[in-house]
Amino acid sequence: MTRHEALQLLEQTLEMEPCTLVGNERLRDLPGWDSMSTLAFISLVDKKARTPLSGARVARCKTVAELLELLGIPPAERAA
Amino acid sequence: MFAAIRAVAYHLPSNTVSNEDLARDFPDWSLQKVAAKTGIDCRHLAASDECASDLAEAAARKLFATGIVAPEQIDYLLFCTQSPDHPLPTTACLLQHRLGLPTEIGALDFNLGCSGFVYGLGLAKGLIETAQASRVLLLTGETYSKFLDPNDRGVRTIFGDGAAAALIEARRDAPETGDWIGPFVYGTDGRGKDNLIVQAGGARSHWAAADYLYMNGPEIFSFTLDSVPRAIETLLKRTGLSIDTIDYFVFHQANIFMLEHLRQKIGIAAEKFLMAMRHCGNTVSSTIPIVLNEASRQGRFQPGQRIALVGFGVGYSWAATLIRWAG
Repeated sequence: MTRHEALQLLEQTLEMEPCTLVGNERLRDLPGWDSMSTLAFISLVDKKARTPLSGARVARCKTVAELLELLGIPPAERAA
Repeated sequence: MFAAIRAVAYHLPSNTVSNEDLARDFPDWSLQKVAAKTGIDCRHLAASDECASDLAEAAARKLFATGIVAPEQIDYLLFCTQSPDHPLPTTACLLQHRLGLPTEIGALDFNLGCSGFVYGLGLAKGLIETAQASRVLLLTGETYSKFLDPNDRGVRTIFGDGAAAALIEARRDAPETGDWIGPFVYGTDGRGKDNLIVQAGGARSHWAAADYLYMNGPEIFSFTLDSVPRAIETLLKRTGLSIDTIDYFVFHQANIFMLEHLRQKIGIAAEKFLMAMRHCGNTVSSTIPIVLNEASRQGRFQPGQRIALVGFGVGYSWAATLIRWAG
């Protein structure tokens, strides 16, 4: 999954306009990020990448960057 | 002899909590969104002096009232609950007495949640097909509401109280192919214990400790995404069937969001995927028999149809089986 695709999934989860997120936001600052959206994000990732993310690991993420890391987005790409 | 489900009934307590009721407690939460995601409009809650056994007793009496079986014909009672009346004696013993079942029967509680009905079918089949019993009354009953933190909107939205009663009976005839009940797929993973738990009240915790049910929804969702498709895959291998040759699927009614995701992931057609939780929420081990009862009353089932049942949740524990509707 590319960084762009991962951010799109998160935007879809939070019902945001495309290209709203840049990848360095704090999750608690994003409107609508709560336990329900955590489930929705896990669901979208599973549909797209056939990968069931650990709910506990998603819940421990504090930033969008940490979420990207769970999806295997390498740090070099995040810095771009 | 072959074990088959003969009848199913259920009972919900009379107190209800609607989404509007919850909106008054949690005005800052979008309950429209929650209702859409959970698929639940209403939950029934036991009264303060009402226990899981009372609900199970009422469900059993509904079953008896159909005339399909009389209390004196039951020769084994299984009660699935995580809300027993007392740590001891066994609540099934109390129910034997209250229902007027013979004293020459077996009766036991087993402590399982969302997987409990399917496990109960396995136990009943074992008892019947080893000639230990011929008419098993399988009761499921739960009052999770008594464990819920009033301030935990996540769990208050989902869980409802209820009970179900199923009669599993010995038959001399087998269906054209396969079994009336079975094969079974079982699964257990105690690593998930902390993700749906009530700490207090058991021997490991202080008896007097007040404690609420804790549920890690995202982690449980991840568990189901992994275990349920695998259970279906194993069940299909054991039966030699495919998704298309199974007539209906009844999953534990956790919430509509999770179920719809699982349905799409596994590739089950919407018209085969039965649900009935809008009116009662997640009643734990009673969700599957409630769906069976509702679908049967709507005339959905024809004799001989294949129905896959999958229960999954607290423990972690899961189980799947195939039943043929005995009519």
